[in-house]
Amino acid sequence: MRVTIPRLRGGLIPLVVVAAVLAVLPLAGAPLQWFLYLFLFFIYLAIANMWNLLCGYSGLICLCLPAFSGLAGYTMIIGTWVGLPIYLGIIAGAVVAALFALLISFPVFRLRGIYFAIGTIVVPEALKYVFLLWRPVGGALQGGGAGYVLKGAAEFSTVDIYWLALGIGIASIFLMRLILRSKLGLGLAAIRDNDSTAASSGINVFRLKLYSFVIAAFVTGIAGSIFYVHQAYIEPLSAFNISWTMIAILGVVIGGLRIEVGPIIGAAIVTMLHFQLARYAGISLLIQGAILVGIMLAAPQGIMGLIRKVRASRSPLTVSH
Amino acid sequence: MAGLADLSTPIMMGIFLGGLYVLIALGLSLVFGVMKLINVAHGDLVILGAYFAFFAMTGEIMGHRFAIFGMDPILSLVIIIPILFGIGFAIQKFLMSRAFGVSMEAPLIIAFGISLIIQNSNQIFWTPYSRGLTPPYALESFSVGAVHVPLIYLLDFIAALVVMLSLREFLRRTYLGKAISAASQDSRAAHLMGINTGRVYAFAFGIAMATAAIAGVFLGLTFPFTPTSGVSFLIIAFGVVIIGGLGSMMGTFIGGMILGLAQTLGGYFAGATAQMLILYILVLVVLAVRPQGIFGR
Repeated sequence: MRVTIPRLRGGLIPLVVVAAVLAVLPLAGAPLQWFLYLFLFFIYLAIANMWNLLCGYSGLICLCLPAFSGLAGYTMIIGTWVGLPIYLGIIAGAVVAALFALLISFPVFRLRGIYFAIGTIVVPEALKYVFLLWRPVGGALQGGGAGYVLKGAAEFSTVDIYWLALGIGIASIFLMRLILRSKLGLGLAAIRDNDSTAASSGINVFRLKLYSFVIAAFVTGIAGSIFYVHQAYIEPLSAFNISWTMIAILGVVIGGLRIEVGPIIGAAIVTMLHFQLARYAGISLLIQGAILVGIMLAAPQGIMGLIRKVRASRSPLTVSH
Repeated sequence: MAGLADLSTPIMMGIFLGGLYVLIALGLSLVFGVMKLINVAHGDLVILGAYFAFFAMTGEIMGHRFAIFGMDPILSLVIIIPILFGIGFAIQKFLMSRAFGVSMEAPLIIAFGISLIIQNSNQIFWTPYSRGLTPPYALESFSVGAVHVPLIYLLDFIAALVVMLSLREFLRRTYLGKAISAASQDSRAAHLMGINTGRVYAFAFGIAMATAAIAGVFLGLTFPFTPTSGVSFLIIAFGVVIIGGLGSMMGTFIGGMILGLAQTLGGYFAGATAQMLILYILVLVVLAVRPQGIFGR
């Protein structure tokens, strides 16, 4: 039987061209407002891509993304307090997030399916209390509920931060392509479809899921650190807030779960919503929740899934599944 | 050094507080047991119940105050239970039943969306400020020997026992209860035996929400709440269900006691902020050591 995974259409060249154009955009003198939009888009894109990898391709309904982004952000910002440069802090944050993923994999990987979701939802809440109690650096006025300010934020301009975000956004697309075309991606697809069959044909289920969990933690960690370079401040209640998970789910569900281009479309719409709904801050969660429910009922495969379906029904050559 | 006499107060309060946690967890456990759905909106629905009681007591909504109200929170359950039953019935009938066919994660994502909608609505109607239900008896306490316990903690415990036992009798003795049990054990076999599983599911969700209404009112009497409190009580309910093991009512009861005790004893020895952390770490440790729960099969 042939294994087919929905893949990004077109070669690598268009993606490289788009990335190059976006990279020289600041030099061409585009308005500053654009970079705020694009910055958020790339951060959301990276996180949504990782959630698609976890939920769509690895069958891990992971509700602990804020644990990774928050830990990485804390590592990076506390790093600047002890003299670590921000660039190194971003890497250090991602490494800490990946190591933390490895650590919590011991309890949560014993759980399957929906139980995994319960196990992971506890993790960011626990971390929130850890950082409310723990003050690694600074005096009584910093840390805990008061949070930390990024030191040396002045070195980074909006454009510098934009380039960082562009880097991780584009890298996450390449990474997804790489993973899905590798043995890891094929193994993950086999596990997702039927894990006992996959295990009996020689796939190490535990190890592959762990790989994708750690990779997702690392990339979410980088995206999180870059976000906190932009925000230049971190405190426990927002850092470990469930809204991070919501952004990831919203992006993937709107675009299309288990579709490689899904998160790109989804992240763009979530970013647009973020800025459009800023005017209606009081009801923005309500609207986002309604969108989540509506999409799941009306078009569970998201926008890309819908487009694909329409295309398939028009083309006489494709065999319907 | 703390003597044993000092410990008896946190132990007593822990057991009573456990009753409140059992109350919160019962609905979650029922929905999970019957429909295999993790209702992540459960905490928010419980808080919604607390807000309804707040409205019935103070008449406050969207900055207005209607003086005609002034109902006792426990008495207002007569109205709140049917309302939440209706909400639960509607959620299952119109949203969840359609999501079950889509994929494994679809009902979870819909529950997540519902959770956001309820949180935001609570905030619109009753502001983000902390609220509480404070009839005169909520502030009273009683003492047995050297132990001083707020009266409301005892009421929590009694309510938990009453709801738990009546739920058990309902599931054992009535036709609908037996149908719910049958559908949870094997929905296809139940369907073949002529049980309308779709309708049974809607009733089960409605009943779970009725227990959530009771839990919400007692929660509001015990603790202050905000529109976003739902998440922490959801996690506590998960903890109760995980520690006790899914599908075992006795396990749920003991799970609640264990969490209540862990919280009050943790607070006694390590301080108020650390007590929640101790609770969450306990949940993670139980997950790591015995994912099926202490009393699960």
